[in-house]
Amino acid sequence: MKATLAPPSSLISLPRHKVSSLRSPSLLLQSQRLSSALMTTTATRGSVAVTAAATSSAEALREGIAEFYNETSGLWEEIWGDHMHHGFYDPDSSVQLSDSGHREAQIRMIEESLRFAGVTEEEKKIKRVVDVGCGIGGSSRYIASKFGAECIGITLSPVQAKRANDLAAAQSLSHKVSFQVADALDQPFEDGIFDLVWSMESGEHMPDKAKFVKELVRVTAPGGRIIIVTWCHRNLSQGEEALQPWEQNLLDRICKTFYLPAWCSTSDYVELLQSLSLQDIKCADWSENVAPFWPAVIRTALTWKGLVSLLRSGMKSIKGALTMPLMIEGYKKGVIKFGIIACQKPL
Amino acid sequence: MRLIVHNMLTCNIKGVVNKFPLRIEAEKVIKKDVDFNPDFLRHMLAKIEWKALVDGARSMGYTELPDHAPALESDEPFLKKFHHALLELNLEEGSLVCQETGRKFPVEKGVPNMLLHEDEV
Repeated sequence: MKATLAPPSSLISLPRHKVSSLRSPSLLLQSQRLSSALMTTTATRGSVAVTAAATSSAEALREGIAEFYNETSGLWEEIWGDHMHHGFYDPDSSVQLSDSGHREAQIRMIEESLRFAGVTEEEKKIKRVVDVGCGIGGSSRYIASKFGAECIGITLSPVQAKRANDLAAAQSLSHKVSFQVADALDQPFEDGIFDLVWSMESGEHMPDKAKFVKELVRVTAPGGRIIIVTWCHRNLSQGEEALQPWEQNLLDRICKTFYLPAWCSTSDYVELLQSLSLQDIKCADWSENVAPFWPAVIRTALTWKGLVSLLRSGMKSIKGALTMPLMIEGYKKGVIKFGIIACQKPL
Repeated sequence: MRLIVHNMLTCNIKGVVNKFPLRIEAEKVIKKDVDFNPDFLRHMLAKIEWKALVDGARSMGYTELPDHAPALESDEPFLKKFHHALLELNLEEGSLVCQETGRKFPVEKGVPNMLLHEDEV
């Protein structure tokens, strides 16, 4: 099935490089595992150690992510509310927004994402939604209310899942939304049951982007839509095999604190979706639309309330706060991109 | 965890064929009121795996559901039982057990933990 890119305006034009599964660092991770499996016929203990290291580092990452969010979720919610994602702003908006302005921007992010994916016109068809990497359930509750749909959220953090359920109950949404601890790379659902598969700023945490996308596609119903909104690195140009060392260094420093395994580009996601025969694949670069976000987060961290809460929360939160200027640097220098990728599963 | 969710959860261990439903071992069940919405319930009736619901409800101590959903779904007494089983029974503590492997997925504070171990992936 031919994958088509939707017509222009807000789309970046993708470099037309041939499909190469070894381009980006995160896909490289996958190939490293493959090559260590091949090595088992020639070497024994060495390669087993490599494989063991690879899998136990996946477990360690999962635990790191869970602990990070167990520790920081409460703090985030106190200051920013129940949406743990960027706000969507008009480009070059230099207006100093109030707290409620930022919250509105976060809701606008959900609406713009749905609109980009063409979901708003199909309200009646959206019956079951999965929120992959659901945080404390802001998106789930919003989407469930908007479409009257059933929404299941999954997160690695037991603290987040519990909080998400409590918030749902408080908003009388218990019959519509529920939250579980589960791995996005191994979703505990049958194939093809969700009309909308939603991943709002969780893709960054996935160590194996190919497996992540495969799972998203597996649980999508025929005719259903997938929406991925995620931090990426810039697309590589023709002939470029990897990011510049200084760029990689910047991303590595961010990865450590936020428990991100590796970055890929928007076009890597598009290629993965193309390889799985998804149709109507669209993508866009929304970096300009999220520019006010990190400065705003830093400002709130530097308030008296913010500082006290940070100190109370612990080291992970503090390190997280100290890493935020690197995010701004990454965006300013064009290394980090805020991307949306949407597509539809064929009937 | 409510049974509306249990009705969707599968064991995703590699190689397992009999992944649904998961058997419930209940240690603590709480009843929480949810507003009665007959339209929503009628809509759900079409999607629910009935046997899994009945067995799940029995494991949580509720035995009033009929073995088969009645033909006349507008029967309100039935809808009330359906509503109670589907939405108001909460498994706070316990396990979800894979019928094929016996693997237990814990449920703590109402949250099922479906994370797999390294060797199950």
